[in-house]
Order: sequence, then structure tokens, then C-alpha cells
Amino acid sequence: MNTRIIFTIIVISLGSIAAILPKTKTSSTQLTADELLMEMKLQTYVVSTDELADLLISNDPAIMLIDVRDSVAYQQYHLPGAINIPLKDLLHPDWIPYVDQISKKNIFYSNGTTLSNEAWIVTKQLGFRNNYVLGGGLNEWFSSIISPERPASTDPNEIWALYETRKAASMYFSGSKPAAREDNSTILPPIPRKKKTRVQGGCS
Amino acid sequence: MGPIVPLFNISNEINLLMAFIIGLGFGFVLEQAGFSSSRKLAGMFYGYDITVLKVFFTAAITGMLGLIFLNFMGLIDLDIVYINEYYVTSSIIGGVIMGAGFIIGGFCPGTSFTAAAIGKIDAMWFVFGSIVGIFIFGEVYPLLETMYMSNYEGSVKISTILGIRDGYFALLLIVVASLMFWIGEIAEKKFKREDIIDEI
Repeated sequence: MNTRIIFTIIVISLGSIAAILPKTKTSSTQLTADELLMEMKLQTYVVSTDELADLLISNDPAIMLIDVRDSVAYQQYHLPGAINIPLKDLLHPDWIPYVDQISKKNIFYSNGTTLSNEAWIVTKQLGFRNNYVLGGGLNEWFSSIISPERPASTDPNEIWALYETRKAASMYFSGSKPAAREDNSTILPPIPRKKKTRVQGGCS
Repeated sequence: MGPIVPLFNISNEINLLMAFIIGLGFGFVLEQAGFSSSRKLAGMFYGYDITVLKVFFTAAITGMLGLIFLNFMGLIDLDIVYINEYYVTSSIIGGVIMGAGFIIGGFCPGTSFTAAAIGKIDAMWFVFGSIVGIFIFGEVYPLLETMYMSNYEGSVKISTILGIRDGYFALLLIVVASLMFWIGEIAEKKFKREDIIDEI
């Protein structure tokens, strides 16, 4: 048979296979269950309360605390500088620029870690970057930073050093402070990120 | 141009090196396939040589089938594959200018460089003309900007416009291309010209 005819048949049959293939969607950002489990095992997305206290005391401008509890709980108490995005509103168009951005380190927190972990999983699966979770949540924040437990006198020096740092942080966050400068600044909304970066290209 | 290897965070320099190596390969293949001869491109216009049509459509079909199968196997995310943005007006005007340039000059931008590389003087002039054209375009761009940016359609796929699945469009394109190849070969016989290579 003529080579041309063979090639025509091959390519048309490949096209027919392409036409009958079921519609599938491959996403490079979505993690499989295994990958997600691995992320969780490695705990790379967790920011400890000590790290957070350090970041807050040094006034790190690159972090954004996001309270994922409801607004009532937020009104009662929230970490300094935190914004409130209740979990159910996480994907509201108004809030997307806050959770899908590349300039700041978002730290989700809730009372425990259930809500914040859920928020993290959702954003992770959507391929949003720079989202973290406060390890232990507010409960851990209170037990470790606000009222740290006094170690036993026989404990090693490192534990005492940590205790002293925590105590100092506790004073910083709860003790009397000099009257703060009147704060008229508002949290500026971030600039919405452009849709997922496509590989730019051209032709000949 | 984006990263050639977007999987890993490799440095820009390595990316450019990869681009350079791929570019060398591309140029070599173009030259070996005879594309540095302007008769190949002009032949498409006069109908005595449809190699260009075959090469471009074969490339399109190969790429298209590759993307569809890789997507089906879960190896590629079609959402982040670059789709050229469609500006209707500038596509039409640019297409006419480019087509005219093809038939007047006998080269496409890529083949002009391969031809210049093997020492063809007309190709060197063609490259020089392209650079002059780029310079003029850059200088008068503010005047053209409105027209250049008009009728923007975004990154669209023909299958989306037709409202059919990518796979059906692939089959359609393959059938059409095969028909074109067969008809083109009939045309090649009809408009056949004598081989003048020996005379040159």
C-alpha cells in the first residue's frame, strides 16, 4: 500500500481516538491525596506560636494574619493586625485577592486548628501560594505565649530560656504598654494577582 | 518567552541556554529540510511545492494530538498552556503583511536566519529588513496602538468558538489537513516547474 495512504489512515485513526476520549481535566496545582497527606506529615505549612510572636514583636510587614472564625469571635478577641475572613466566605470574590497573592505570608488561625487547616487545604488545592497555619491555633497561643507554664527548676537551661522569651512576649502582648501612636492606617487591599501564569510564547 | 523548563526552578541563564540549544536544533532541521531555499516558500504560493503546508500542518497535528493524549494521561495541565492572545484586527493586517513578505522575500523569519547562516546574501538582506521593520514599528507604535489593540478576543480556542470538544476539533482538523495534502499534491503535479537548481 502507498505510504501516504498508510500515514493518512494512522493519523485519522489517532484523531478518532482523540475524539472519543472522555473529557478529562488535568490540573497541575491540585494535589493528589498522597501528596496532600505528605504535606500534612511534613508540617511545612505550620507556623509555631513562638515564631509568630517573634514576627509580631519585630513588626514584620510581610505577614498577614487571617482569622477564619466567625465575626462574633473575631470581635471578642483577635490577634493584633489580624483580618477576619470567616471560613465560609473564604472564596468570596472580595477576599480572593487576600488569599491568592504572592507578596505576603498569610497565616490562618482559629481557636484550634480545624478551621484553619480546612482553609489551608482549600487554598492549597486551588493552587494559592504563601498560606500557612498557626500551629495549635489560639488555644496554643494562650497556653504558650500569653500564660506560659513555669518550668520546673530542674529543667534544662534551654527550657528556661524559652520560658523567659515567652514571658517577655506575654508582657508585650498583654501587659501595659506605652500609649500607642494613634493608628489611622488601614489595611490596604492587595492588588489582585493575574490569573495563573501562562507560559508566554510566540511563533517563528 | 516563558521558561523552557517550568517544572524546576532553574536559573534564567540555564533556561536561555536550553532555548539556545533547542533553537540550534530547530535551525538545523529547517536547513536540512531545505527551508533555507526561498523556492520552498514561494512554491507554496504558486502551487508547485506544498512542503510548507505539509510541515506546518503536520507540526500542528502532532502538537495537538500530543497535548490531547498527555492531558488525558494526566501529564499536562491544559489550563496553563500558553494560548496566543487574539487581536482580530492586528491578526488580519499582520497576516497580510507577513504573507506579502513571504512571497516577496521568499523567507519566513525563522528560515531567513537559517539561510543567512549558510551564507545566502538575499537572506541577510531579509534579516536586515526585518530589523529595520522592527525598529520602524517600535518608533511608530504609539500611532498604531489603538488599531493594534482593537477587537481583543483574549486567549481563545477554535473549539471553544465552535462549541465543540477539543477532540472533535482535532479529528476535524486532521481530516481537513489530509484532504489538503492530497489536493495539494494534485496541485503540485499541475503547476510543476522544472528543477532549475543545476542552472544556478
